[in-house]
Amino acid sequence: MLPQQKMVRGLLSVVGAGLFLSAAAPAFAGTTEQQEERHFTVKDRPMVIINNIVNGRIEVKSWKNHEVVVTTTMVPGKVAVDAEQVGDRIDINASSLVDGVRQPHEVEANFQLLVPEQTELQLRTQTGLILVEQVNGDMKLQSVAGDINLKEVSGYIIVKTTGGSLVCTLCSGRLEFNSISGGAQILQPSLSNVNVMTTTGNILYDGDFVRTGLYTMNSGRGVVEVRFSGTDSFDLNAQTYRGTVDNQAADFLKPDTHGKHHSQSKFSHSLFGTVGQGFAKVELSSYSGTIRILKRD
Amino acid sequence: MQCKELEAVLESGGLHSLPSEARAHLAGCSGCQDLLADLSAIVVAAKRFPREVTPPDRVWVSVRAQLELEGIIRDREPVVAEGVPWWRGVADFFRPRVLAGVGAGLLAVLAGSYLVEHHGTGHVAESRPASPAPVQVSQKPTIAPAPSEEKPAVRTAKPLGQPAREVAAAQGPRPTAALELRPSPSEDIYFGNSASVLDKTESSLPSRELTNNAAVDAALRQNLRTLNEFIAECQARLKQNPEDQLTREYLNMAYQQKAELLTSMLDSGRSEH
Repeated sequence: MLPQQKMVRGLLSVVGAGLFLSAAAPAFAGTTEQQEERHFTVKDRPMVIINNIVNGRIEVKSWKNHEVVVTTTMVPGKVAVDAEQVGDRIDINASSLVDGVRQPHEVEANFQLLVPEQTELQLRTQTGLILVEQVNGDMKLQSVAGDINLKEVSGYIIVKTTGGSLVCTLCSGRLEFNSISGGAQILQPSLSNVNVMTTTGNILYDGDFVRTGLYTMNSGRGVVEVRFSGTDSFDLNAQTYRGTVDNQAADFLKPDTHGKHHSQSKFSHSLFGTVGQGFAKVELSSYSGTIRILKRD
Repeated sequence: MQCKELEAVLESGGLHSLPSEARAHLAGCSGCQDLLADLSAIVVAAKRFPREVTPPDRVWVSVRAQLELEGIIRDREPVVAEGVPWWRGVADFFRPRVLAGVGAGLLAVLAGSYLVEHHGTGHVAESRPASPAPVQVSQKPTIAPAPSEEKPAVRTAKPLGQPAREVAAAQGPRPTAALELRPSPSEDIYFGNSASVLDKTESSLPSRELTNNAAVDAALRQNLRTLNEFIAECQARLKQNPEDQLTREYLNMAYQQKAELLTSMLDSGRSEH
């Protein structure tokens, strides 16, 4: 090869690389995430509403200040985030600016919030995780496919998902969970009222039952498992149509001594019993899954 | 004659042509006089109301179709008023009033839910003693059956660590199968209507993407399929055993979830596009 030809080829490759980089640069720039922090001073118990109709995580943690700090991470130009404060209500909306079906990471807004301990929440997202820690206040959390993780929260907690699952650790107050395919794990709770319904998800309740509490857990096709402690006191009513009632706590369950006549359906497998004095009421049902009752060690 | 008997006479015979005994009681009872005065006022007020508007033909088409589907009626008399072509009623019925459909579905589901609860109360109240039966529970750990399992696993009749007979006696009698209340026809109609409205709403969903997000679309559609399978399973079961209350409750819950899911799918589509 002649030196001139070598030089021409070298030039061409340099020009080609330059062209490629110049073409690719906007695309790379377009996916660069940007972080934005907003501060909202509040007086009393704030109400924070996030309506994230794109994807993304929402993390909420509490602190001692009378201020709500919202840190948003998103790709500029692809997601619009609007925020407004009216008194102690803070309303945040995230929506997509692009058309056409995108991959989840392309249209994403992640939120990290610091809120006062006494805060009410109304959070909605599509596919990301919702994480709430150490917040006291009523909350409504909704997600399509994202999971929901609650730790040390208290209040009237309403969780609705289409396919996302719930893990509720050290929660207190009242819990309502409704999902089609998501499961629920309720660990070490101090909840006085629990109403859990899922069509195909599994349910696990591992913890104490508060005296005079009401606990209803239903799953269409999933397993419903309850692990209670020896000091608990509750009346139990478990029913399944096509599944089985797996009673691993026969030594602790005695027949219902309150004189109530339980009408057993000829269509289902049922178990009625009492642990301790029977102060709380526990109703479990599964259409075709197993109901398992066991005592914790 | 006592006041209660007079009420019965008023209920059966109306306000006019009261028997002499009733008149004699009325003459001396101020309470019944007030009752009669109130009833008369109601009758007079009712007569002033305008005549009821005739519901559109499509309502009758829908009701008849549902009744035939449920096997409550079998004859096939034409129900569309003369002069109106049959396709008009059907076309009206299928007009894509999506939100209205979902709303109607929710209403029907709520009404069904009320009836189910009402029915459930009646079930307990009307239970009659019958031969005692043991509790059906497993004593040892079992493996969850696969959803496709056809028959329930056979369980040993062994209650809570005590002899079966003792526990059965402690728990009291159970109702016989014959005394299981059958659902009322109106309850079945509500269920049928819920299913019908929800199916029509589902068919009006766009086949293209609902949202700007492939993952969300996939999750919504997958969960709709899951619900439909579960609903079909419950419906098949109820067809075999209409008095199966547990299945009925699960079917009702599944309808509610489907109504909410469809609303959410339609909302997603509207807010995105």
